[in-house]
Amino acid sequence: MTPVSAAAVWLHPVLLTVVALRVAAGDADAPWLALGALIAPLVALLVPARRSVAANPVAVVAAALAVTLVLAADFVIVADAATLLGGAPWHGVVPAAALALLVSRLSPSRRLVGPALAVGAAALALPLAIVAGTMGAAPWTAWSHGGLRATLTFPEGSGWVTHGERFARPARLTFTEGQRVTTLTPGTYRVVERDATPPTVREWRLTGGESLTLRPGDELAVEAGARLRFEAGRRMPGAPVSGVAWADAPARGPALLPAAFGALVTLVGGALALVPGTRRRGTLAAAGPLVLMAAVAAAVGWGVYAAAAAPDLALAGSPLAPLLQLPPRALGAATGGAVATLALGAVLVLLVAATLALRGRLAAATPRPEFWAAAILLAVALALWSADPWRLLVLGLGLAAAVWTPSRLASGRASAVVGASVGAAVFVALAGLPLVAPGPAAWLGALVRYPALLALPLGLAAARAPVDGASARRARVRSNAR
Amino acid sequence: MSVPRRRHAAIVALLILLVGAPLLALAPAAPGAVRVAGVSLLWWYAGVVAPVLATGIAIAVLVRGGE
Repeated sequence: MTPVSAAAVWLHPVLLTVVALRVAAGDADAPWLALGALIAPLVALLVPARRSVAANPVAVVAAALAVTLVLAADFVIVADAATLLGGAPWHGVVPAAALALLVSRLSPSRRLVGPALAVGAAALALPLAIVAGTMGAAPWTAWSHGGLRATLTFPEGSGWVTHGERFARPARLTFTEGQRVTTLTPGTYRVVERDATPPTVREWRLTGGESLTLRPGDELAVEAGARLRFEAGRRMPGAPVSGVAWADAPARGPALLPAAFGALVTLVGGALALVPGTRRRGTLAAAGPLVLMAAVAAAVGWGVYAAAAAPDLALAGSPLAPLLQLPPRALGAATGGAVATLALGAVLVLLVAATLALRGRLAAATPRPEFWAAAILLAVALALWSADPWRLLVLGLGLAAAVWTPSRLASGRASAVVGASVGAAVFVALAGLPLVAPGPAAWLGALVRYPALLALPLGLAAARAPVDGASARRARVRSNAR
Repeated sequence: MSVPRRRHAAIVALLILLVGAPLLALAPAAPGAVRVAGVSLLWWYAGVVAPVLATGIAIAVLVRGGE
């Protein structure tokens, strides 16, 4: 596999768009997630050729499930596009799944991966360059501008104020300032009033055009696809209170360290499973790292410019919002619409490249085509059922890290099975803990969110231990050689 | 330096660069919040310095030799 094809396995639309949204929203973990999105695949490219998992049934099943979860996360992003454009989620998911099945059946599909990734990365960066050129600000200037805002309020020209915008997924909005919210789609809106103990819960069945008056401290539950209009000049619910809070998230503190390491272990472990090491040398070998850096830099750039020009974009909750809604805001409706279409096209091309590359990785684990078809069907079901693409991606990469990676780095065939089994058992126990014991202890929080944090080291320890005769013989040979 | 040792050293360097971001962000007294030319030290590190260094290290090792 070429370095560019190896990079395509990693550069999923869900990863890039989530990085963009996290940066735009000022999430505490955005800096190390962005850095992890780049360095994790670089580490994987440098790790020498790893053991095939084809003879390990535990790893094969885990590989198929991990691929399914990552595909499902990508499909949720396409579902978001459909929702933000006024359609139903399946309007995006079903065509994307059909495209994934169709393209992967083409005979030259493996040769398409590299060109598709190059085109997708360029098409992701070009609209950003147009937006940046129009704004006339370098990325660091835009970041500084976003970090200096006194308050984050709805601007006069915001789509949330003029014609209303849609929520891509269910949301709970906590208001720090009173304001009148106009509902533009009929539905049930639940308001939790926290000015009394216990809180009062009111449910309103509203038609389009009716208003809700919310007070500071109130919480409004919104369904996916709901379209709302807010008042200009009022604070955005759920957003950082100021530019300083966006730049230096108040939640950032030592207590976040376990979750930070959990995210990084998941990314690196997942990359070690998914991204194959490359044997190519010479100047062409530089293409993989360069494409990775360009794509991740573009994702960070989308987040920074969205925060500077339109901090309200993160409110929709969709990772696609910065790409689809920043260009019209920065360039005007006509030009911006065309540029946003180009950005959406980039996401679709990246999806094709990632899908083809993923199919190649699954085929390396098990060549049976029914695994791929089943993975796509299951991914469609998961994408329509689950609302959180980041959770799906973390579970997919975490499962790959916990089961697939120990099997690939094992010291022998039997060790590979043992390591994969240990990783799988720990991963399933931690990921499933909230189902059997809701509200686990706080110290378990990072392990439940990122099960690979414990499952990967335990799986690796088991996989590196010599348990069969061959491994023991190899260990003796190494010992004698010394 | 042999190819495997060079790769091993590069992987260790990349992991150190990676861990630097949360340590800079979450260390007591928040050194990552210090502004340099309008941008926080954390974002200079995670958005510019570490990515360029990491990509350079990976390219240097990949271009110079296979396995």
